[in-house]
Amino acid sequence: MDAVKTFYNKHKALILLALFVLMCFVPVIIKKTVLIRYICNVLMYATLAGSLNAINGYSGQTCLGQAGFFCIGAYTCAILSKNFGVSFWLLLPLAGIMAMLVGLLVSLPTLRLSGIYLSIVTLGFSEIIRIIAQTWNSVTGGSLGIKEIPYPEFFGLQMFRPKYYYYIFLVIGALFLFVTDRVLKSRVGRAWMSIREDQIAAKSLGVETSFYKSLNFMYGAFWAGVIGAAYAPFVNYIEASQFTTNTGFNVLAMIVIGGQGTLIGPILGSTLVTILTESLRFLENWRYVIYALIIIAMMWIRPQGLVGASDSILAGGTIRRKENGKKKESRKEGDAHHE
Amino acid sequence: MEYFIAQLINGLCQGAIYALMAIGYSVIVGVVGMVTFTYGEIMMIGAFAAYYTFQAIGNNLPVAILAAFSASFLVGIVVYKLCYERFFNAPRHISLLCTIGISMLIKNLAQIFFGPDTKPVLNIIDNKTFTAHIGSISVDIKLLQIIVICLVIVFALALTMFFNKTKAGIALRAVSQSKEASYMMGINVKRTAMLGNCIGCGFGGIAGILLSIYYYSVSATMGGSYSIKAFSSSVLGGLVDIRFSALGGLCIGVIENLGITISSATFRDVFAFGFLILVLIVRPQGFAKKKGARV
Repeated sequence: MDAVKTFYNKHKALILLALFVLMCFVPVIIKKTVLIRYICNVLMYATLAGSLNAINGYSGQTCLGQAGFFCIGAYTCAILSKNFGVSFWLLLPLAGIMAMLVGLLVSLPTLRLSGIYLSIVTLGFSEIIRIIAQTWNSVTGGSLGIKEIPYPEFFGLQMFRPKYYYYIFLVIGALFLFVTDRVLKSRVGRAWMSIREDQIAAKSLGVETSFYKSLNFMYGAFWAGVIGAAYAPFVNYIEASQFTTNTGFNVLAMIVIGGQGTLIGPILGSTLVTILTESLRFLENWRYVIYALIIIAMMWIRPQGLVGASDSILAGGTIRRKENGKKKESRKEGDAHHE
Repeated sequence: MEYFIAQLINGLCQGAIYALMAIGYSVIVGVVGMVTFTYGEIMMIGAFAAYYTFQAIGNNLPVAILAAFSASFLVGIVVYKLCYERFFNAPRHISLLCTIGISMLIKNLAQIFFGPDTKPVLNIIDNKTFTAHIGSISVDIKLLQIIVICLVIVFALALTMFFNKTKAGIALRAVSQSKEASYMMGINVKRTAMLGNCIGCGFGGIAGILLSIYYYSVSATMGGSYSIKAFSSSVLGGLVDIRFSALGGLCIGVIENLGITISSATFRDVFAFGFLILVLIVRPQGFAKKKGARV
C-alpha cells in the first residue's frame, strides 16, 4: 500500500492525466445510451456534491441548501438560452456567477450565525428560491417548468446525445477538481480549513473568518451554478420540483457516504448512490428505505465517510477525541454513582 | 377589512398550532441539546395514529389525542436511541444527518404502509360558525378554530405546570441548563434526555392531529414544510425558550396569513422563511433576552 502511495505521489500529474484520457474513451467503449446517461448523472452529481463538499467539508459550515444554488444555475441557463439565445458556453460561467451572487447574499446573514442557525438559513433560502421558481409564471414558466431548452453547439455540432454531454460533464468535473485542488492548497484553502478546525483559534491567528466564510459560500455556489447550467439542457426540461430540499439532502448524503473534506469522497459517494438508486429501481419505495438506513449506518460506523480520515475533525477529531475520552470516563463514574 | 380580519383569525389559529409545534421542538432542542429534522415525520405519525383511531372508534377527540401523543412518544424513543444517545460528544452535524436519515426512513415507510394518497379527516368537530358584530364589521369564527386555540393553550399550560411542579420536570430543566451539573446532582441524564425528547415528540404528534383536523386531511408527506416551520418558530424564540418559541410560532402563523392576503397563497412559505431570515439578521438570538439554555 505504501509503495502504491509513494508511486502515486511521485507521478501524480501523469497518473491523473492518464486517467482523464482513459475516461475520454468511455463513450467509445460503452455504446448503450442508457448506461451513458447514468454515467452522465454520476459525473454531474459528483461535481454538485463536490461543490457542497467545498462548503461543508472544508470550512465546516453545514449548508443544507445546495439545491437552491443548483436551481439558480439551471434556471439562468434555461431562461437565457431559450429567450435570448445566449451561447451555452457563455452561460456556464454566467450561471456560476449568478449562483455566486446568491451565495454571497446567503452568506451575509450567516456571518453572524453559526452551526444550526446557519443551516436553517441556507435551507430557508433554498426553499424560497424554489418557491419563487415555482410561482413566477412570466419568467420561469411556473409549475409547468421550461421545456425544450436549446442544445449546446460546439463548432456547428448540435450536442444532443448523452455521449456529448458525457464530455461536457467530464470536462467540468475535471476542471472543478483541478481548480479546487489548487484553491485548497492556497492561502484561501488553508484559511477555510483553519476555520473548520477551530474558528476562534483561526480568528486569533489573524484569519478574517467572515471574509473567508463568505468566499467559501460563493465558491461552492459558483460550481453548483455551473453544473446546474450544464444540467438544464441535459434533461431538456426543468421544473421547480426537481430542486426541492430532498435534492439537497440527496447531495448531502452523497458527500456523507463518500467522505467530507476529501476530494475523492464526493465522487465515490455520487457513484455509489447513483448505482444504488438506479439498480434497486425494482424495489420502488423500499430503495429509499435502504438508502436512509445506509445514511444512518454510515453515521454510526464511519461518520467521516468511506474515505475520510479517522482523525479528521469531521469524525470527532483529534482534539475533541481526547476531551471525549475524559468526558466518557467522568460520565461512567457519574452513572455508577447514581445507580 | 373583513377579509383582513378573517385572515388574522386564520393566522392566529394556524399560529397556535405552530406554537404547539415550536414548544415541542424547543423541549427537544433544550433538553437533548441537538436539533432534529425528524419533527415533520413525527407529526405525520401522530396524525396517522389519530386517523386510525377515528377509523376504529369513531370521532372521539380525546382518545385520538392520547393515541397521537403515545405513538409519537414511542417513535421519539427510537429517534433518541438512533440519533442522539451515541452522539452527545460528537460533532453536531453527525446527529443532524442521522435525523435526516430517520426522516427519510419514516417518510418512505409511511408511504409504503399507509399508502401515498391523501386521506380525508372529516367532521371531527361540528362545522359551526359564530358571528360577532363589532361596529359595522362582522367577524366569523369557526368552532374548529376556537377548539384548536383552546387545546393549544391547555397543552401549553399543562407543559408549563409539568416543568415547574413535578420532579421529572425540574430534572428536565436541570439537564437543559447543564448536563455536567445534572450528573453531579444525581440525575440520570440519558434517561431524562430521552424523556425530554419523547415529550417534545409527543407534542409534535398532538400538533400533527390538530393540523390534520384543521386541513381536513392527512398524508404521508404532510410533514415536509412543517418541520422547517417548527424549526423556524423555535429559532425565533431562541431555540430553547418555551414561551418565546410559542410567540415565534404565533408570529409566523400571523405573518404567513397576512402575507398571503397581499399576494397569492403559494407565497406562504416565502413569508415564513423571509421573516425568519430577517429576524436572524437583526437579532440572531431571536426574541429571547439572552442566548443560552433556559426552558
